Amino acid sequence: MAERPEDLNLPNAVITRIIKEALPDGVSISKEARSAISRAASVFVLYATSCANNFAMKGKRKTLNASDVLSAMEEMEFQRFVTPLKEALEAYRREQKGKKEASEQKKKDKDKKTDSEEQDKGRDEDNDEDEERLEEEEQNEEEEVDN
Amino acid sequence: MAALAAGKGAFREEEGTGGDAAAPQLHAPTSAPGARLSRLPLARVKALVKADPDVTLAGQEAIFILARAAELFVETIAKDAYCCAQQGKRKTLQRRDLDNAIEAVDEFAFLEGTLD
Repeated sequence: MAERPEDLNLPNAVITRIIKEALPDGVSISKEARSAISRAASVFVLYATSCANNFAMKGKRKTLNASDVLSAMEEMEFQRFVTPLKEALEAYRREQKGKKEASEQKKKDKDKKTDSEEQDKGRDEDNDEDEERLEEEEQNEEEEVDN
Repeated sequence: MAALAAGKGAFREEEGTGGDAAAPQLHAPTSAPGARLSRLPLARVKALVKADPDVTLAGQEAIFILARAAELFVETIAKDAYCCAQQGKRKTLQRRDLDNAIEAVDEFAFLEGTLD
C-alpha cells in the first residue's frame, strides 16, 4: 500500500476532541473544517520533521532528538510552543524513568519467585532440575524496544 | 432505479474509522488521569516522520514532542479560525474560516496550497 505522506492522517476523533476543547462551549465545527485541520496537522508534522532533520544534519547526527524538534519550532516561528513543549518533555522523561524502574522491579520480583519455586520443587522431586534451568534461561531473555 | 446509498456530498467521513488507508483505531483513550501526556498516537506520528525520505532515525522523545506540538498546533489554528467565525457571528467553524486564518497568520504560511 503506497501512501502519500499527506494521506497519513491523525485520528479524527482525537483531532475533534482537541478542537472542541480549544473552542468555547457551544461552538461546533463543520466536517470540512475539521478534516482540513487534520490535514494541516499532518502537514505541520511533516514540515517540522524536515526542519528538525536539518538541525540534526547540522549536528552530524542521524537520529532526530528532542532539541532538534524544539529548534525547528523556533525556526518555524512557533516559539510560543517551546516552553509548553519543554515542560511536556520533562514530564515525559519522568514517566519513562518511572516505567523503566517499574519494569526492572518486576523483573527482580520475577527472579525471586522462580528461585523460591525451585526450592519447593527440589524438596519434592529431584528429576526435573534440567528442565527448570532451561525455563529460567528463557525467562531471562530481555526484550529490546527498537526505535 | 437503483437507490444511491452514498447519500449527499462527495464522501462521508465517519469518526473512528479513519479513512481508507489508516489503521483502525485500536487505542481507546487511556483512563489514567493526568498520565496522558499526549493524545495523538505516537505510532501515527512516527509513520509521518518516517515518510520523510531524508530522515534516518527519530528518537522516542522527538516523536513525543512532535505529537505534542501537533496538538498545540491544532488548538492554535482552531482558535485563530474561530476569531474569523466570530466576526461573522457564526457558531460553527467553516472551512473558509480556516482559509482566512491561514492567509492572515504568518506562521500558517506553510499551509498555503497544501489543504486542497
